[in-house]
Amino acid sequence: MANEAVLHAHSGVETHHDHDHGHEHHHHETFITKYIFSQDHKMIAKQFLITGMVWAVIGGLMSVLFRFQLGYPDATYPWLEDILGKWAKGGRISAEAYYALVTTHGTVLVFFVLTAGLSGTFANFLIPLQVGARDMASPFMNMLSYWFFFTASIVMLSSIFVETGPFSGGWTAYPPLSALGDASPGSKIGMDLWLVSMALFVVSSLLGGLNYIATILNMRTKGMSMTRMPLTIWALFFTAVLGVLSFPVLFSGFILLIFDRHFGTSFYLSDIFLASTNTALPNEGGSAILYQHLFWFLGHPEVYIILLPAMGMVSEILSVNSRKPIFGYIAMVGSLFAIAILAFLVWAHHMFVTGLNPFLGSIFVLLTLLIAVPSAIKVFNWLTTIWRGNIRFTPGMLFAIGFVSLFISGGLTGIWLGNSALDIHLHDTYFVIAHFHIVMGVASMFGMFAGVYHWYPKMYGRYLNNTLGYIHFWVTLAGAYLIFWPMHYEGLAGMPRRYYDYSIWESFKQFGELNKFISTVAMIVFAAQILFLINFFYSIWKGRKVKEQNPYNASTLEWTTPINPGHGNWPGEIPEVHRWAYDYGKDGREFISQTEPVGADESKH
Amino acid sequence: MEHNAAQMAENHGGGTKEVIRVTIILSVITLIELALGYAIIGMPPSTLVTAVKGSILILMMAKAFYIVAYFMHLKHELKNMIMTIVVPLALFIWFITAFLWDGNSYKNLRNTYDRHHAEQNSIKVEKKEHSSGEKHAQPSSDHKGH
Amino acid sequence: MATTATAMSTDTKWWNGGKSPFNVEYGKLMMWYFLMSDAFTFGAFLIAYGTVRFSTNGWPDPNEVFQSFPGLGSGYPLLFVSLMTFILIISSVTMVLAVQAGHHMDKKGVVKYLIWTIIGGAAFLGCQAWEWAHLHHEGAWWGSNPFPNMDGSKATTNFTNFFFTITGFHGFHVFSGVIINIIMLIMTLNNVFEKRGHYLMIEKAGLYWHFVDLVWVFVFTMFYLV
Repeated sequence: MANEAVLHAHSGVETHHDHDHGHEHHHHETFITKYIFSQDHKMIAKQFLITGMVWAVIGGLMSVLFRFQLGYPDATYPWLEDILGKWAKGGRISAEAYYALVTTHGTVLVFFVLTAGLSGTFANFLIPLQVGARDMASPFMNMLSYWFFFTASIVMLSSIFVETGPFSGGWTAYPPLSALGDASPGSKIGMDLWLVSMALFVVSSLLGGLNYIATILNMRTKGMSMTRMPLTIWALFFTAVLGVLSFPVLFSGFILLIFDRHFGTSFYLSDIFLASTNTALPNEGGSAILYQHLFWFLGHPEVYIILLPAMGMVSEILSVNSRKPIFGYIAMVGSLFAIAILAFLVWAHHMFVTGLNPFLGSIFVLLTLLIAVPSAIKVFNWLTTIWRGNIRFTPGMLFAIGFVSLFISGGLTGIWLGNSALDIHLHDTYFVIAHFHIVMGVASMFGMFAGVYHWYPKMYGRYLNNTLGYIHFWVTLAGAYLIFWPMHYEGLAGMPRRYYDYSIWESFKQFGELNKFISTVAMIVFAAQILFLINFFYSIWKGRKVKEQNPYNASTLEWTTPINPGHGNWPGEIPEVHRWAYDYGKDGREFISQTEPVGADESKH
Repeated sequence: MEHNAAQMAENHGGGTKEVIRVTIILSVITLIELALGYAIIGMPPSTLVTAVKGSILILMMAKAFYIVAYFMHLKHELKNMIMTIVVPLALFIWFITAFLWDGNSYKNLRNTYDRHHAEQNSIKVEKKEHSSGEKHAQPSSDHKGH
Repeated sequence: MATTATAMSTDTKWWNGGKSPFNVEYGKLMMWYFLMSDAFTFGAFLIAYGTVRFSTNGWPDPNEVFQSFPGLGSGYPLLFVSLMTFILIISSVTMVLAVQAGHHMDKKGVVKYLIWTIIGGAAFLGCQAWEWAHLHHEGAWWGSNPFPNMDGSKATTNFTNFFFTITGFHGFHVFSGVIINIIMLIMTLNNVFEKRGHYLMIEKAGLYWHFVDLVWVFVFTMFYLV
């Protein structure tokens, strides 16, 4: 609220940049104001990105650890006891630790990596640069958004080190497991820390989202009408809207859960006998399904909060690197809008078999399957964009194409799972794991990698190493399919998710070797990500320097800024925009920047 | 980003007259709500009671409209801005419908398949007088987290 | 394809960039969208309450529960909550008047009406404190519900659980609104807005305050009337 002064003071300072000192800044900046409590959207974006990367490593490492258990259930590794202590007595991960790892892996990847790390990074970085603004509407709130996320991270991290362990009841935190401290070790203080962390995360996401919306609506430069915006901005806009409208519902659900945990209420509890304490609980009249409704009212839009930024960036990268205008711009915007609306109407397809009214479920089937329409439009437009294009296979472009491939493969299985009848067989199996990891997890990671590779020169003024990028891409793409494709077969055979040891089940013994294979590939893919990390941090300081202002010959505004833009982005006036963002290969010219006025004899598309 | 505050303040219609008018309308609606509320005190559940409650809900929406439109000045904003506020609120339609529908279904499921539950719910308890100091609250804390 | 830059330029001038398409500064826009998001928080609470009510066989009669008035004793259903409702409506009216005074750069008027609004908010909080204390005295609290269902059967604790949680969350909003208004009052007295040349901050505080009133319209209806 108190940002009136911030904006005025801000725009006063920024417009008087010295033309000679590219990125030199006028007001005095200390290390703390420049790198820590920075209010520059580009620095905040990098903070989000690097924090997200730290979390990706932690979350990825967790998956490697539990893949040890799944792939080699009988083996013991003394070094595991060395690093995990009592959680891996005798060199084998305990059941409690296994569930804690799975839960934290899910929470961390969904919220901290793919929400904060992905949309936090690129919304902050790209919105002001691509709409032509000096900074976010409120740089101060933007800074708060990061620090709330950072605090949430610290709390979540601390939950890993408490004596009873982090929460272990699955990332969805269904009651009664999450509501009763006596239900499992992880449901004690670990769950409280989990809830506190998530509440802080919701605050962070709201502060960020409100800022993104206000910036996109209010701060566009002259001539930048909504329909001239790059698709990245449209996608980030809808992402922010989804977050602002759905996170509060999760927040309410969590508050009720906290009351159930500590203040004797029964919002989600009824008819419970606890074996661990041998008591019947007095709680009556609550409904665990209510929590599921509240959770998935966020949970489903959350999937699109993760996916939409990736879609937007991929659209942009495909167009730039195919040297062709995006195919069907308005259809792309329209399908983003349709997805954003449908995201709010389909949540209960996660609950087909939890006691949801079956007739209500059938309506959710219908609404769910409708999502296939805008999704198919998007896929069609991506393919037609690169069709007969003059494609430049940069690592960013490869990851963008990889995204489309994964989105198709994962999206098709979504049509299976969206049917409540098929879901009776497929729910809670590895089929579900395979589906959402491909379509939401890996696909969005690919979108994120595409974005990092593509905009790295703008972020750091240096290039990433391409060779390492190619290795990273091919290992990750092949690995992703080798890990998750076989899981479809396991799931179809009925192999449930979240089991600790499949080797003791006669029906699932046959998959022992397959699980071993998946685990091995998972470790190789994780190692390939380390290659990326090395590439990333090495290139910040030692990478090849960017010499030209517009290395990709792209038409969008971020490439009209200096190579290392200072706070305020443009040294002089903010450029005016005269055309849409996708004038590639028009009138025999390779590209026409958005800042170029439309010529008198220019052809229409 | 030139903000001309005076210019922005100008697009706000209405004056003290409008405020008085809306205050009277809100008060009258509240009085009608209260009157309807009084009318159904002690009446057993029936179609009439449901209808009265329904009309109270409609009056509630009318009050909400007057507060948002006039006190919050939304009516005097540009039409596009009104749309960005009102259109997302349409999500509440399915939000409310699906939740209440499933809540009702849960009740029916339990009454049908959980005989113990249905029996428990038909046991009458002795009506207590709400005299003060009869019983002090003791929040149950049997399942505290730690 | 018809989606060219030239086709776009037929847009109304509001959307062409370089200005706010809604002719409002970003702070007010953010306040509106924050309130949207808060509406979903309260909406989720009230819908959760509705869902549990729909899934429960009986429910206590609010007129049996909320029937006391300080100094008069019990037997007056709806009376006390009517008082609370009118206090909040009147404080909303004084807030509107404060905002209007701000538009006219009338510092004295802003101060006067802000003080009335703060008094109204404090009075509402006082009423709520009394009602909570009274109910607590009768044995109602989170996890404890002494009131039977309308049909005389034993009620679950969710009646009081939701009542205290939702009115508590609303009360927290009233409290923070009062704090915001006090800050606005201090800023006004220190001539912050006079120097700035506009009272737009009062307008944003006003939006928040009206939202609190708006939520009460729903809470009041859901808990006391239906």
